[in-house]
Amino acid sequence: MSDSRRQRRIWYAVGSVLVVAFLAYGTTSFKSNLTPYVSFAEAANSARKVQVAGGLVENSTEYLDESQELRFTLVEEDGDTMVVHYDGVKPGNFEEAVQIVAVGNYDNGIFHAEQLLVKCPSKYQGVEDDVRTYGSET
Amino acid sequence: MLRENAEMEWIVPKPVSEILKWVLLVWLAGVIVAAFFYVQPAEGFIGESSRIVFFHVPMAWVAVLAFLVSCVTSVMYLRRRDPKDDIRASVSAGLGLLFAVLATTTGAVFAKIMWGAYWNWDPRQTSITILLLIYAAYLALRGAIDDPERRASLAAVYAILAFVTVPFLVFVVPRIYWSLHPDTIINTRGANEFDSRYTQVLLASLVGFTYLYVWLYTIGCRIEEIRQRRRQEVL
Repeated sequence: MSDSRRQRRIWYAVGSVLVVAFLAYGTTSFKSNLTPYVSFAEAANSARKVQVAGGLVENSTEYLDESQELRFTLVEEDGDTMVVHYDGVKPGNFEEAVQIVAVGNYDNGIFHAEQLLVKCPSKYQGVEDDVRTYGSET
Repeated sequence: MLRENAEMEWIVPKPVSEILKWVLLVWLAGVIVAAFFYVQPAEGFIGESSRIVFFHVPMAWVAVLAFLVSCVTSVMYLRRRDPKDDIRASVSAGLGLLFAVLATTTGAVFAKIMWGAYWNWDPRQTSITILLLIYAAYLALRGAIDDPERRASLAAVYAILAFVTVPFLVFVVPRIYWSLHPDTIINTRGANEFDSRYTQVLLASLVGFTYLYVWLYTIGCRIEEIRQRRRQEVL
């Protein structure tokens, strides 16, 4: 093997190691910072405005028309539940929602949401083709 | 340096691209009409918002394809040191950035309609922002170096490193984290949620956008080549 070829091999090796290291660094350093959603337990301990995400517990929704107040319960993957309180007009697609993101503060056992983001089941099926009902799976 | 008077052929020979660009016009016009009249709004989506899938997904696909081409041509540059490969890499990275911005914008519009906010730093939005910054930095790097050969080698190395993050940011992150983003076509449940009409139009759109990219890439490379040749003539 000539010197220049050996040198080139070394450079390839160094390059590959760099690329792998870069990937590993990226994976670990972004792990906690890439998602804005915190767990219910973290939300309860935080004084800051946070975003929580969870499934909507069936039949937990109450809506008071005169005060425009919405109350419902969210459940996390591990089974934790949290009551969410929202003052304002119900989002248009709230009825179909299976998962909700609530932006706000936790106070005295209730999460006071300033904003609700709604995730609906996404099936790219024309409405006239077939109408199905959805379970809670997503 | 670039050979003079050599009419360069970039992927598609000129006479063929002259015809294909008209085919592309008719094809994409057809896709747009189909997206709005052939397909019914999907259930679970507010109003007509599900139709954005026919434009948003192909834009994201083209962005990934363009970044891949930029990476491959950068590798070619480092092996052959042919200035044409540097032109290819830079044009493709620029197009990738353009389509990534378009995908982000259409995504934000969809988010406003479906989720209720243009932007809430959902993992999808965070990861695409990082990707946009990475490729914006590529263009900034190119702009900062005057010597063409130095610029080409440094940019090539950077483009290869930049592409390493693409699979991670585009495909891995959204599958690790819970996200408001609708399930993708290749999803963790292995379910195809597209009915036949949605599938037909989406495939047609993917084909159209892919050729749109090839066409823009061909034009971009020609323009850049002419620009560099003229610069040499001036010197």
